[in-house]
Amino acid sequence: MDESPHGEMPGVPRRLDPHPPRIVVIDDDYAMRLSCRQILAKSGYQVETFEDGAHGLDSILTTKPDLVVVDLKMPGISGMEVISRVKEIDPLIVIVVITGYPTIGSAVDAIKSGAFDFLPKPFTPDELRLVAKRALERRRLLLESSRLEFEREFLKRRFVTFVSHQLKTPLVAIHQYLEVLERMEDAPDTATKRREWHQRCLKRTDGLLAIIDDWLTLSEIETSDLARRRVSVNLGEILSGILDVYEELAAESDVELTLDLAEDPLLVRGDPNCVSVLFDNLIVNAIKYNRAGGDVRVSGERVGGEVIVAVSDTGVGIPEKYRTFLFDEFFRVGGDAARKTGGTGLGLPICKRIVSELGGKIEVESEEGVGSTFKVWLPVYRDDAGLQAEEEAAARSSDIGVGASK
Amino acid sequence: MRKKILIIDDDPDFREAVSSFLEINGFEVVQAENGARGLRMAKRERPDLVIMDIIMDERTEGFFAIQELRRSPGMSGVPVFVLSSIYSRIEDFTIAPERAWLEHDEFLAKPVNLNALLSRIRRRLESEEESGGAVTPLGET
Repeated sequence: MDESPHGEMPGVPRRLDPHPPRIVVIDDDYAMRLSCRQILAKSGYQVETFEDGAHGLDSILTTKPDLVVVDLKMPGISGMEVISRVKEIDPLIVIVVITGYPTIGSAVDAIKSGAFDFLPKPFTPDELRLVAKRALERRRLLLESSRLEFEREFLKRRFVTFVSHQLKTPLVAIHQYLEVLERMEDAPDTATKRREWHQRCLKRTDGLLAIIDDWLTLSEIETSDLARRRVSVNLGEILSGILDVYEELAAESDVELTLDLAEDPLLVRGDPNCVSVLFDNLIVNAIKYNRAGGDVRVSGERVGGEVIVAVSDTGVGIPEKYRTFLFDEFFRVGGDAARKTGGTGLGLPICKRIVSELGGKIEVESEEGVGSTFKVWLPVYRDDAGLQAEEEAAARSSDIGVGASK
Repeated sequence: MRKKILIIDDDPDFREAVSSFLEINGFEVVQAENGARGLRMAKRERPDLVIMDIIMDERTEGFFAIQELRRSPGMSGVPVFVLSSIYSRIEDFTIAPERAWLEHDEFLAKPVNLNALLSRIRRRLESEEESGGAVTPLGET
C-alpha cells in the first residue's frame, strides 16, 4: 500500500495502557536511581532507569512512557534539555523534575518550560509515590481529553467520510447477510438462520431510511425550509400531542410520562412543525434511554421573555466527558445501551439546529446513574394586536404537523 | 486444531454474518463489540488472527485498539486485518500499514467479498505456520 501524500494525520494520542504505567527515571546518582526504582516498582509501576539524558531520551523515543522523572543537574545533556526534548517527542508525556534545595529556582524554570511538578531532595518514599500518582493522574486526563479532541477534529475534517460511513453501515450488514445466505445454501438446518437474517435485513433497511430522513430534516432546517414561520405555538397542545403518540412506547418500556406546565396556554414564537420535531426527539430519547420503572417528566414555565421547557429522564445519565460532544452529528455515547436503542445519531444535532434557528438555546444537565435533563429556552410569543388573529389562523392550519413528525 | 479468529466490530449483524461464514468454513470465532472488550477478549482467547473495525463506539476506536494490541505482551505478532468502509474510494485516506499507530497486516473494504476474505485469512495463517509463528508485524503488504 502506498503512502498517500495527503495521508498525513496528526499524532494520534494514545490511551493509557491497561498495563502498569511506565516510568523512566533519569539521574546520574546510582543510589537515587536504585531507590526510585524500588519505591516506584513497589507501587506496581514499570520502571526503567538511565544514568544520563542521552540514554534516557533514546528509550523515551521508542517506548513513549507515561511519566519521566529527571534530575535537573546532570553531566552531559541537562535536565532542562531533557524536558524540552521530551516535549518534542510527545507533549503528552508528563515530566517531574528532581532537584536539590540549592537549585529550587531552576525547578520553577523547569515547570515554566513544561514540567508538571518537582521533587526537592531529599524526599521520602511517600513523597515520591504521591508525586508520581498525581503526575499519572495528570497523564490520564491529558490522554483522555486529547483523544476526544482528536476525534472531533477527525470528524470535522472528514465529515463527508463519516456521513457516508453511517449510510453504508446498514448496507454493509445487509450485503454480508445476503452473501453468506448465498454461500451456505448447501449447509443443513439453515431455515432458522435464514428467517432470522431476513428479519435483520428488514430492520436494517428501516434504520437506513430513518437515518436518511433525519439527514434530510437536518438540511431542511439549515436551508430554513422547515423553520420558516414565526407564529404563536401552543406548547401544551404540542407536548400533550407528542406524549399521546408515545404512550404506547412508554408503556412497553415501563416508563411513566408526565406533563407539568406552569400556565396554560404556554405560547412560544416559532414554527409549529419545528417545535414539534424538537420535542418529539427529546421525548423519544428520554423514553428510549430510560430504565424500566423510570419516569419522563416534561415541564414548562415562562421566565421573563422566554419559555423554558425541561425534558427529564431517569436513565443512566451521560458521563461528563461526553457532554460537549453530545450535539455533534453522529456522536453516540458508547456502551451497550446506546447500541441497543439503535438511534440515527442525528436526533440531538437536529434539536440543536432547530433551537438555534428559533433563537433559543438547549443545554443538558446530567448525573450518572440518576438521569438527564434537557432544557430548552424559546422566545415567548408576544401578543401583537392585529397580527394575532392572522398568526393564529396560520398556526391552526399547520396543526397537521403535530405529532406526525417521525 | 481449529484456528481461532477474533472479530472486533460494533455492528452485531456484520459480526453475525461474517462469523457464521467463517464457522461454516472450519474456524472458531469469538466476537467483541468494541476496542476495550476486544483487547480483553484477545488476551483471554489468544486468537490466531484479529479482524478489526475502525469506527466503533468512538470514531477512531480501531486505531487505538490496534496500538494497544501491538503493545500487549504476546499479542504484538498476531495478524490484524482491518475491515472498514471508511477508506474505500476515498483516495486521500489511505493509511500505510507501517504507520506505527496502525500496524495492520491487510486492509479490506466493507462490504468484503467473503471468499476473498477466507483465502486471505488462510494464506496468512499458513505463512504464520511456516515461519513458526515468527513475529512479522508488517507482514505481506
